[in-house]
Amino acid sequence: MNTFPNLHLVRLGALLLACGFASIRGFAAPLVSSVQVEPLSGKATLSFEPSPAAMEYRVLRTPRLGLPFQTDTSGVLDQFTWTGGLPAADSGFFEVEAIDIPRDSLTGTTLLQRVAYGPSPDDLERVRLIGPDAYISEQLAPETILESIDASAPAPVWRKVTASGTGSSPKLYIYLDGAGETYLDDLRLIEGSAEDASKPNLIVNGTFETALGTNWIVSTNLIGSALSPDQVHQGALALHVVSSAAGSSETTSIHQNLPATVVATKTYTLSFWYLAQPAQSARLTVRLSGSGITSTTSLAAGADSPQPLFAKLAEGSATMSELRRWHLLHAVQSKRQLTEVLRQFWENHFVTQYSKTRDYFDNLGYDTVTAGIIATQAEFRENQKWNDAMLRPNCTFLDLLRISAESPAMIIYLDTVGSKGNGGNIANENYARELCELFCFGVDNGYDQQDIVQISRIWTGWSMDLVASNNVANPFATRSTNYLDPSVVTNKTAVTNVLGTWSFVYKSGNHNTGIKKVFFNHDTNGAATTPKLVPDRFGAPWAKRDYSFSVAAATGTNTIQEAYKLIDHMANQPFTQEYLSVKLCRLFVHEGFQIGYDFTDADTSPEEELVHACMLAWENPSNGGPKGQIREVLKVIFNSELFRSHQASQQKVRTPLEFVVGTIRALRAARPDGSYTANTDGDLAFALSRMGLMLLFDRAEPNGYPETADAWISAGTLAERLRFVQAALMPASMTGKGDGGATTSIDPAALLQLKAPSAVRDSALAVDYFLDLLFPAEGRANLGAYRAMAIHWLDTADDGTTASPFSALVPGSTDYDTRLRGMVAALMTTQRFQEQ
Amino acid sequence: MNIINRRSFLTQTSTLGMGAALASLVDIPLVMKRALAEGTIGQPGPNGRVKKLFFIFLRGANDGLNTVVPLGDTAYNATNRKSILIESDPGNPFTAKGRALFPESGPTKATFDYNYGLSLGNGFAGLHPALKFLSPIYNAGDLAVIHRVGYPRQSRSHFDSQNYWENGAPNNNQTHDGLLYRAMIESGLANKLPLTAVSIGSSLPLILRGSKAAMTNLNDPTRYNLLAVPNTAAGNAKADAALAAANAARFADKRDRELLTLQYQNLSSTLDIFAHLDFSEAGNTFVDDVSTDGDQPYYLFPTTNDKNGGYSRAKDAAKYVVPTSAYGHFQNLKSAAMVLNKTSALVAGVSIDGWDTHSKQGGATGSQANLLRRVGWSMYALQKYFKKYADQCRWEDLVVVTLSEFGRTSIENSDGGTDHAEASAMLVAGGGIKGFQADVLGGVKRTGVFNCGGDADPIPWQVGPTGAMFQAQSRYLKRNTDYRSVLGKLIRDHLGATPSQLERIIPGYANPKESLATRGIQTADKTEVIGEPDLI
Repeated sequence: MNTFPNLHLVRLGALLLACGFASIRGFAAPLVSSVQVEPLSGKATLSFEPSPAAMEYRVLRTPRLGLPFQTDTSGVLDQFTWTGGLPAADSGFFEVEAIDIPRDSLTGTTLLQRVAYGPSPDDLERVRLIGPDAYISEQLAPETILESIDASAPAPVWRKVTASGTGSSPKLYIYLDGAGETYLDDLRLIEGSAEDASKPNLIVNGTFETALGTNWIVSTNLIGSALSPDQVHQGALALHVVSSAAGSSETTSIHQNLPATVVATKTYTLSFWYLAQPAQSARLTVRLSGSGITSTTSLAAGADSPQPLFAKLAEGSATMSELRRWHLLHAVQSKRQLTEVLRQFWENHFVTQYSKTRDYFDNLGYDTVTAGIIATQAEFRENQKWNDAMLRPNCTFLDLLRISAESPAMIIYLDTVGSKGNGGNIANENYARELCELFCFGVDNGYDQQDIVQISRIWTGWSMDLVASNNVANPFATRSTNYLDPSVVTNKTAVTNVLGTWSFVYKSGNHNTGIKKVFFNHDTNGAATTPKLVPDRFGAPWAKRDYSFSVAAATGTNTIQEAYKLIDHMANQPFTQEYLSVKLCRLFVHEGFQIGYDFTDADTSPEEELVHACMLAWENPSNGGPKGQIREVLKVIFNSELFRSHQASQQKVRTPLEFVVGTIRALRAARPDGSYTANTDGDLAFALSRMGLMLLFDRAEPNGYPETADAWISAGTLAERLRFVQAALMPASMTGKGDGGATTSIDPAALLQLKAPSAVRDSALAVDYFLDLLFPAEGRANLGAYRAMAIHWLDTADDGTTASPFSALVPGSTDYDTRLRGMVAALMTTQRFQEQ
Repeated sequence: MNIINRRSFLTQTSTLGMGAALASLVDIPLVMKRALAEGTIGQPGPNGRVKKLFFIFLRGANDGLNTVVPLGDTAYNATNRKSILIESDPGNPFTAKGRALFPESGPTKATFDYNYGLSLGNGFAGLHPALKFLSPIYNAGDLAVIHRVGYPRQSRSHFDSQNYWENGAPNNNQTHDGLLYRAMIESGLANKLPLTAVSIGSSLPLILRGSKAAMTNLNDPTRYNLLAVPNTAAGNAKADAALAAANAARFADKRDRELLTLQYQNLSSTLDIFAHLDFSEAGNTFVDDVSTDGDQPYYLFPTTNDKNGGYSRAKDAAKYVVPTSAYGHFQNLKSAAMVLNKTSALVAGVSIDGWDTHSKQGGATGSQANLLRRVGWSMYALQKYFKKYADQCRWEDLVVVTLSEFGRTSIENSDGGTDHAEASAMLVAGGGIKGFQADVLGGVKRTGVFNCGGDADPIPWQVGPTGAMFQAQSRYLKRNTDYRSVLGKLIRDHLGATPSQLERIIPGYANPKESLATRGIQTADKTEVIGEPDLI
């Protein structure tokens, strides 16, 4: 295995080549895979294997081994093959070097791929500037990052629209497709296929700076429209368009009979600015009579703001679809990216199933919609509690486990809600098993079936009820007696008539009151004998510790403590430390971490050592605080050589969630006016579903969604990923756009103009900009084939063969825009974009 | 720790070898080279057709005791199974010998009007009434119901146990490829044919996963094509060419890159095949060849209300053959059946989720019954489809098998549910299955019931409170058959593996300590098993 020391210059391979006869001998890192020599012509061809993150390859040569190697300039290097001449006399010695991308850049990219939902243009620049350590420190203290996306109500925003087409008629219409209002300014129609400020405006008074007069004729459905100084894009006035009913043509629009000559054989470009506003749902159409040029635009603003969704979630009236949109918008936009990644991680670790909760409430008599809202509330509440807990510096695993155990979503999901252990009842084992197998210890790691049975008894009585809002944290509260309709209080069993919140409630009457002995050995009759001891493989300080747990026979409400004490006990056992450390390492580093290392034997590996270091940080945190602090464990991972090296870089495949969010983020840069080059309203759950049934908050199986590539990647799911990328990159009206989210809008031309203005009309520079953006950890020397493909795309027509230089396309024209979109989509459908 | 991948293997070799050795080094797995000349998996038989396999994975652990019901066991009673008991019918006693009971509903009665265990005619066992459409398959002699199936040192974790069923290696999580994947590798066709094994579902199941060849998984064949910007014919061709160029690019090895390469290739090579099959709703025209259930010929793949049993006539939900929530499953089943019938694929499979009935499992009706209705009708539909619409695969070329990771507790819990336990039941159907056979007098010459009472029970089902239902860990149904024996028998005697291939497909198959081929004791937990059931 090649190891990559912390040097930019990596010795990739060395080859001894003796002129006149070929013989090969490998040296330290021999990645040279073949060599061919033609003694007669004196020509040599040398092939080598790609090296990760190579910015550049160099072939070095020396005539004699005693002399220093010098960079060859005589031969030709084409990707991974060098062709050149041999020295006329004597023998030649060759060596191949790879110049690695800077180490901090590599680590920085891994950070944005794992600690964040993929790099955005701005984040890439920022992490390169501040360095990986500053980014880690910041993300590990999310409470210090100012985050206001849930608090800031979306503001109105001026947006520009351009559309090109033929001059089908000299009549221009402006109308809405329903009731609503907007402001319109700087309306221009010019000859040509792209906007050009120097060309004359064919529209009279398109700036709306002078009275509408007779140039603009206003129909009755738009009669409230007038010039207004309240909102302007430029100048002193704009046209305030107020519509009482949908328009469609001359008699239902604000229209102008253009005095200029407009002919159907010529191309024209229409452009204007309009004010998008949060409360508006109508669409604005500006078009020529006929179908020569038409633009239809949504007047809504703020669809990409989580704030209105958060407001509904906080008051408990949101649907699952709104929770998912909010969750996705946070993943895309939040500055607390690590917290977002971890929020999903804990949600998935302590997995619950929205539809099971909904069906439970449906069966209690709620209508389906209300049942869905209650179930959504249960998901949101636990999620917010984890989020709040993670904002506390010393947050421990136990804190998070307790939130999960007390969550009505979990109580329903794993069936403790109706489990009884009193009398002859046999307790439901579902939660007990998964508490051991999936939430704490890991499968068959320190527990057995007897322990499951004992724990299932401890958990009897762990139920829920509908309690008054001041009682949500009181597990002994009785049912709320606040009635929706006080006239029907007689029917007290009808929960649908009760106001309150479904919360964890302990029902001691259902509890198994016997002795429980957990984590004991057993005799052949199943009777507990001696306490179980931590196996030797854990080594110090854990090995041979007694980790048994006993409960005396007891009755009454105090038996609630049995379960709390048990999770206190389990949360910091070495089994839990091991299992959670492995899961976090798999999340952040790569999948090759195992449960069951022998930490005491000589056979070790960097992976085993990292797990061990995490466990020690869990057990003995450097800050002296409580055991199990999540940040202490993460620090160990983020500072490890494994995480910072090639061993982690691009060694995982994105889950559907990561892929969808990563696609948007990759092209999402902030413009000076505060808008972004890529936008989504978060309504992308359908895409996650198609890519392998990743239903957020609604996993059927209690093991959560997998992190491994083989669980997600198949021909069918790849087809969906590729369709998503292509559709996301389509302009608004293109057939198939819906696959990428109807409102997903990505503007690669604006991104290029913003970040690399010198590349706007240069195919090679434009491709290089996007290669760096989309594959920042790959190394440009490895991207030759992608680069050639992408440049070919830009410089050929839609048929892929006819030459059509990108430099000849006019920025702003439809052809330019489509060409660039197609190229970026093609790059994002490649194998390497699946990785993180 | 070193990860031996293709590149480091190459580089290590190059440090040892000479130039000549390097030039000939090609990445063909040894196992594939070896397989080319061996066995008949995927090879046409004398009739010119190949043998195929269809699997249905019941994920979540199906309660085998309420699938093939031991009606003759006194411990199978209302004390142990208070709310979920399947009662025996005093009018059609399970003690009767002969054919399986098939209570046809006719045009007016509800499809699932009969709520007792359906006597299987072996004097002991019955089918859950939701499985009534298995009766015609059983009576045709094409169905084997195999009870008490498990494996040594049974894991009660869903995920471990599903892994073991799929990787064919109990208690071994280090085997990361699937046993049907290995069977495809052994066929020598895995990297020659674009399609060898196919699953229709949300993800490629472990049973078909492996690192040296891609098996195919589709979630929705009606959407299996790509888009482009611009989304025109020319634009799509340009995007395809760009993708092909990008796929040919070489990169340094990383953990998932071989997987991505293989699956991208699989995508490219299968798009066209699927494009030529009609998976649309309009193409779902497959109907029964007889008046189903004494009513009218029903659609085989219920994907809408009007294609669901006898509903179309009177718009009566009681005439459904499957719950309306099953339409997605029958879309998948139809697609998988079409692929097996119309392409080179040797194996096809689907999953049905939701069997983890910890609470409110239900009895003759309820959540498990709703799932069993899917299973019964699925097998009925497959039988009819491969009989009436056979193209590349006929019913006699096919075996359909159900898999489920373990059974459930013999005693119901306080939630009207059952918890994780041990042995469960398998259903195996196909034109070549040795199922029920009547003698000349209408009696039973051969039964299709394995390991659940009757004369053909090599290790008899002990009844009562210390009987079979409580003999594993004093709590659970004890196995007497290893799932590997069932699958091994099918892979060798149906698909055509040689014994040495089978040993590679199911490691340890010939090991006497495993007793997979013949009756004996499995030494891992000292349990007696019957070896291979005489299925085929």
